[in-house]
Amino acid sequence: MFWQSAKTDESKAPDWWAFVLLFLGVLVGGAAAIYLFILLVDPYDTVPFSLPIDRRIVSISDRFMYPQIVRSKRFDSLVIGTSTSRLLDPQVLDRSFHVRFANLAMSSAMAWEQKTMLDLFVRTVGPPKVLIVGLDGVWCAQNADRDRITFRGFPDWLYDDNPWEKYLYLFNSGTLEIAGRLVGYHLHLYRERIRYDGYEVFVPPESQYDLVRAHEAIWHNFRPPVHEQRPLTAGELGQLSFPALDWLDAALARFPSTTMTILAFMPVNVAALPSPGTREAEIEAECKQRIVAIGRKDGAKVIDWRFPSPLTQNETNYWDPLHYRVPVATRIAEQLGAAALAGHESDDGSYRFLVH
Amino acid sequence: MLFQSQFYVLVFLPAVTLLYYSVAGSELARQWCLIGASLVFYGWWDARFVILPVTQILATWLLALAHQRTGRRAPLIVGVVVNLLSLGTFKYLDFILGSAETTIGITLPRAHLILPIGISFFSFQLISYLVDRMRGEAPIYPLRPFALFVLLYPHLIAGPIVRHNELVPQFSLDPRREGLWRRIAIGLVIFTIGFGKKVLLADKLGAVVDPLFADARLHALNLGDAWTAVLAFSFQLFLDFSAYTEMAIGSALIFGLILPENFRRPYLATDIRDFWRRWHITLSSFLRDYLYIPLGGSRHGLWRYLLATMVTMGLCGLWHGAGWTFVAWGLWHGVGLATCHGWQRLGRPMPKLAGWVVTMLFVLIGWVVFRAASFGVAGSMLMSLVGEGGAGGALHEIKLLLLAALASALIPSAHEIINGLKNPRPMVSVAGALLAVYCLLEVGTKAPVSFIYFQF
Repeated sequence: MFWQSAKTDESKAPDWWAFVLLFLGVLVGGAAAIYLFILLVDPYDTVPFSLPIDRRIVSISDRFMYPQIVRSKRFDSLVIGTSTSRLLDPQVLDRSFHVRFANLAMSSAMAWEQKTMLDLFVRTVGPPKVLIVGLDGVWCAQNADRDRITFRGFPDWLYDDNPWEKYLYLFNSGTLEIAGRLVGYHLHLYRERIRYDGYEVFVPPESQYDLVRAHEAIWHNFRPPVHEQRPLTAGELGQLSFPALDWLDAALARFPSTTMTILAFMPVNVAALPSPGTREAEIEAECKQRIVAIGRKDGAKVIDWRFPSPLTQNETNYWDPLHYRVPVATRIAEQLGAAALAGHESDDGSYRFLVH
Repeated sequence: MLFQSQFYVLVFLPAVTLLYYSVAGSELARQWCLIGASLVFYGWWDARFVILPVTQILATWLLALAHQRTGRRAPLIVGVVVNLLSLGTFKYLDFILGSAETTIGITLPRAHLILPIGISFFSFQLISYLVDRMRGEAPIYPLRPFALFVLLYPHLIAGPIVRHNELVPQFSLDPRREGLWRRIAIGLVIFTIGFGKKVLLADKLGAVVDPLFADARLHALNLGDAWTAVLAFSFQLFLDFSAYTEMAIGSALIFGLILPENFRRPYLATDIRDFWRRWHITLSSFLRDYLYIPLGGSRHGLWRYLLATMVTMGLCGLWHGAGWTFVAWGLWHGVGLATCHGWQRLGRPMPKLAGWVVTMLFVLIGWVVFRAASFGVAGSMLMSLVGEGGAGGALHEIKLLLLAALASALIPSAHEIINGLKNPRPMVSVAGALLAVYCLLEVGTKAPVSFIYFQF
């Protein structure tokens, strides 16, 4: 049998030895060379002893790229949220608030992911001067504690403070590709993908806006969740649990009075709002009430854009049920400044103060 | 621990190999080295799991010893019952309770036990040893090699199912004997082939299959989606399981141990009996030797043959999972085997191509039942395959399906490589190493995906 070996193998032994040596040489040498390249380029700016090069954001993988923005310590204020907050331009916010904003809202971010980003910021930079939390349904999810991340995955190792642990996670094709892009950037072969303050226009250019397609996207392509008409009983109402709000409360409670916190319900199109009278609408109303209570307790301003209004009822403001257009985003960013700093009420009824 | 994880490939396997060969001169140290490595490998998921195989091994060995000392069969029968009870408790208790509940209409409590990984595999190996003792075909081994025969980590979790007499004699062979470098070289090649099949094909097919079968629970799929789902799952299952087998055989070969063949390009089979000679060969052999033949096999008339075939295949299905869909899948193959047997006795062989088409269609239908979460989903999926869910849609992921088909048809089995790779060509070495580096980079992008057969 083969495992008992055959005489013919003996004469070939030196060649098989060379085969093994070559295999291991290429494997170990190739892997080591790639790993060294990744560590030297260090596209997430996260490990010690990497090359001192300018590290631009060359990937749209926000969960991977944003921690380095925080660790750069170039910003003293931040926005967290989902894609409904991503279009808030930090430069517009900077002009209003006179601080240095980074927009660290992430596409489809769960509440836990947003909280983790905020924790990283506080541990790295300290309490922010201004914090804007773009609130969405994820903060009101009753299973927020169970469904902490999305199918996209979340690199929590990039969010802790142990630089040595990160060596374990960098040897992969994704990091190699981004390292290659960063080298490409320095060779003028690849462009920066996201501004270093985190701002990215992820919707198509304004010149391509098409109301017919937007109407389709809002009313026909969007499949809203099935809402139950059965109203909540008093018992059910009392038993509602919003785990993410505990995280929010704990995060805000530790901020000093010098931190200005704005909890902003972001405007989705009315098509994406739960219909009045449904259980979901009642749950959302209860969640809003609890957020208002947190705002009062922790000294945060709570401003609501998430209700039927001239803004949310006008489909020309939207690309799809969740994403408003860039000019709308600019208006909201300006309104945020005016409302938070001067207590300015909405001229057109597009927002309302829940806590001043 | 998963074979395709970076930790296994870059740390565990090299470390165990170095340690193993550094003590290669001592049979005792070699065996302890592999036992220790196997316990770490198995306990990597949950250290508590280690207790179960260790207890079953000790109980089986002590009962075999009692049989030798007393000469009575009772300890061996107790041993078989103990192993079956362990398997039954951890794997089938809730299934039995659920089935009983449906029958009697009374709500019963559930045990909700965690299924210890690999329990079906190591329980079967222990049972086969006890049965061989009853037949007078198995000696009493010292505890250490006996434990290693079951625990040896390359085959512990998902096979190949190894007989004691295939493995225990190998433990006393010096791994540095003639052919050392050829065994290591071929071990590396076979491991890398499995690595590539798992990471580059099976896992990517899984990403196609899972959402489509999830959709099938909600609504009928259109023709294109249904065929995509079924073809992708058929390739995924084979590539995933054969990848595991190849990584197991490759790892063992590096230690100078050879594990039996488990797959021989089953999707080239031209009849269903041929399929079962190529698919999960060690399970088929086990069921043949310990169930089908004792039940009468084909030598005691038609009815006895039908009974033996259906019982064997029904239990084969149940072995795969605690669910009636698995039983139905097994029985489906029982019907196929019996029909094939009858057809072949007519002496009118089908043309090869027609035989292949019929066999593959038969196997595909079986996989639908095997994969579906319920008979309802299986029925819906089968109807979708004939356009009941709408004739629209087109086959998608064609490139991936084509690659998977080519890999399934063309990549030689582990033992074909062992017997066929005669010359140490540098190109093969370099290509294999580069493939391994690529797979390491790919698998690092996310948490490694578990093997399908780990749930069995």
